[in-house]
Amino acid sequence: MSLKLVKSLKLQNDKLWSLDFAHGLLATGSTDRKIKIISVKDKDHVKLVDVLDDTVHKKAIRSVAWRPHSNLLAAGSFDSTVSIWSKESFDDLEIEDDDEETNDSTAATDERTLEMDLLAIIEGHENEVKGIAWSHDGYLLATCSRDKSVWIWETDETGEEYECVSVLQEHSQDVKHVVWHPTLPLLASSSYDDTIRLWKDYDDDWECAAVLNGHEGTVWCSDFEKMLDLTEETCNDRLRLCSASDDSTVRVWKYIADDEDGQQEWECEAILPAVHARQIYSVSWGPNGLIASTGSDGTLAIYKETENHDWEVIAKRELCHGVYEVNIVKWIDVNGKMLLATGGDDGCANLWSWDE
Amino acid sequence: MSEFINENPDVIDSDELPSRKENITGDLLLSGISNETTLQRKKLLLSIDNSKSKVLQNIELLDKLLLINPPELTSDEESIEESDDEDDAYGNTDPKDVVDTQEIYDLTAHISDPEHPLSLGQLSIVNLPDIEVHDCGDPNKMVEVIIRITPTITHCSLATLIGLGIRVRLERALPPRFRITILLKKGTHNSENQVNKQLNDKERVAAACENEQLLGVVSKMLLTCK
Repeated sequence: MSLKLVKSLKLQNDKLWSLDFAHGLLATGSTDRKIKIISVKDKDHVKLVDVLDDTVHKKAIRSVAWRPHSNLLAAGSFDSTVSIWSKESFDDLEIEDDDEETNDSTAATDERTLEMDLLAIIEGHENEVKGIAWSHDGYLLATCSRDKSVWIWETDETGEEYECVSVLQEHSQDVKHVVWHPTLPLLASSSYDDTIRLWKDYDDDWECAAVLNGHEGTVWCSDFEKMLDLTEETCNDRLRLCSASDDSTVRVWKYIADDEDGQQEWECEAILPAVHARQIYSVSWGPNGLIASTGSDGTLAIYKETENHDWEVIAKRELCHGVYEVNIVKWIDVNGKMLLATGGDDGCANLWSWDE
Repeated sequence: MSEFINENPDVIDSDELPSRKENITGDLLLSGISNETTLQRKKLLLSIDNSKSKVLQNIELLDKLLLINPPELTSDEESIEESDDEDDAYGNTDPKDVVDTQEIYDLTAHISDPEHPLSLGQLSIVNLPDIEVHDCGDPNKMVEVIIRITPTITHCSLATLIGLGIRVRLERALPPRFRITILLKKGTHNSENQVNKQLNDKERVAAACENEQLLGVVSKMLLTCK
């Protein structure tokens, strides 16, 4: 079993807050207001293919997300807006495969083979947008902000227009992060008020279905278990969520049942073995069943579930961005191989291979 | 910020602090001298030249140097610094290599208070004994710095701003391996937890640093730093 650094890409000149990967393209967002698109085919074919217009946002890019089944990228910024970017369809895209794979220096050059254009700007939040997430079908976009609200936007296939269908204001403090379930119409939001809230659609009205209490500090991030065959009928089996907090713990929550009022009952099923010494900023629950976490202490950890809902740490890598804080970790599928991507305050995106 | 009114009996009566310190400095000339040698030196110096500034400063400096417990002297941190400088051993030390509590104090004590024309050190908002540095000595490992600040009044709405100033100052001055925790000293503020949470929320601090108005105020506070 080993966790190896495959590639380190120095992309940004300031904190790299967010990254997302789809269709062989890695997108990153940073305090330097730049969004970069990198083609990743395998470890030897990594190339910067576009740098988006950095005059669109007036402040840091806090989160980026590829729209499923589409060629759109959404970016949320501290300037309180969300931008939508489009590119030529993936099929037409031929990224030249010369032998000069990207290393640290070439990643910073301006060789671009892909042009993404601004398609829409979504305004509505009062201040910093902190998280954005697309529903699995790509028709709903959730955004959250320091203004304590979560907004749900509906769009059509083109992704050019966005209509706000719900403003959810039950959190008592900043909402740090939002994530959709991979198959169900279920949204989880994490907050500075130390809770996670789950939201679902009750007859065309989005309402809070559950509040998960337990963390003793800001909840920075949550992620659903990837049970891709889960439907609303079978969700009793395995509907679970993991969460990362300022309190240095990662918790796993399990859905129990709906009560008479249609509220969901959830319980904290496990607190993962302590690894981190400081705030945990990000968790990712991979399709391989493994949870990865990272944070202020710069440690990257991977946890595996054993028989009885117990979890063990199967890998731990300290200083994974040197002495810098690490803001995000995500499991990504690169040509059928699961890698981990991390982004840190050093402005780097690092790719890690994990072999069991 | 002060929605919570937690009456705390331990709270030091507020606005006394700045003025009390001022008095100490002002009275230094003739009162507050416990040491006979100091008094003699002072008289000697005065007899040589009693025109103000330079000499008075020298007297103060001598006085501080002769005192037994300089770390307590929050009213005039300069002398502490200078006494360090006089020690040749410290002369060429790269601050990146040795960062101790004194270094953190020197970095933060000269920050101006946002509402008084005085420094955080003079107002005893930042105090040397309330600084902790945990450094294992390995330059590839992280260093933890904890600063407990004492706001001048219990409902001081500027506590967050002061904390932000300290954080910005330290993040700019220290290498990235430093992890800085800024806390209000226990019992010094009505909404301690709220302020602490805010001061140590990376995302909020990052956003605050992109707020031009706020950054303007912070920059002004930092102008007096050396």
